[in-house]
Amino acid sequence: MSKKNKIYWLEGVTEKGVKSLLNDENSKFSWLRRQRNRRILVVFMAMGIMITALGSYYSGLKEELRLDGSAEIVWLTVVVLFILFAVLVGYSLLRIAVRGIADAPTELLDERQVRVRDTSYRYAYQISGYLLMGLLLLYFFGPEISIFSDTANDGSYLLIATLFAYASLPSMVLAWRERDI
Amino acid sequence: MSRNPEEPVFNRIEEVRTAMGLTRQDLADKVGVHYQTIGYLEREEYSPSLVLALRISKSLNQEVSALFSLLPFKKGK
Repeated sequence: MSKKNKIYWLEGVTEKGVKSLLNDENSKFSWLRRQRNRRILVVFMAMGIMITALGSYYSGLKEELRLDGSAEIVWLTVVVLFILFAVLVGYSLLRIAVRGIADAPTELLDERQVRVRDTSYRYAYQISGYLLMGLLLLYFFGPEISIFSDTANDGSYLLIATLFAYASLPSMVLAWRERDI
Repeated sequence: MSRNPEEPVFNRIEEVRTAMGLTRQDLADKVGVHYQTIGYLEREEYSPSLVLALRISKSLNQEVSALFSLLPFKKGK
């Protein structure tokens, strides 16, 4: 029996992918679904996103640390790229840890999972509001610190961090709050 | 402890399910939910919709009122 693998374009997932995460087909990752491990992953992700956002001030940091030799700049670039890679891996693990519920379409979830998913989005929306307020405060009061000055600011890392935060927040909330997933 | 601010719904799902020799997965497959949801229901941490309550009652061959209640069930009943 061949069954078509439906693609959910809006959520960016496939039916088989969601069902595989929801069921215990990835049993080798069951340790990741324990609440303590999920919370460690959330802390790791939050730190990774924050460090990525600070990468926006990378050029200012170069001046601040007086890195004028090319070897040091290459070393710092490698560190930043490694952190980006680690956040990407963390994001993939986070999705497995919460069975992809945050990204799953309603028709593939049961009523409790739909409620849990929707609640996580509500909290994520509120948290992102606070984060935005924090960024605005940084924008208004940041120039006092030299590495936050406009000339030192390279927005690309901040955009990447925002994208990671936007994609991960509902899963992070879910991973933190739910006892069993 | 339930985080659900709604009035709790007490149930005898676990008692009836084990008496019928069903696992959580078996019951979950019958009613079309995830097995974790059966766990949440049995621990009374989640109150089911009327549709789900009816489906569970049908799967366990029970009347809804025999399986769900707004008051705690007396033990052994």
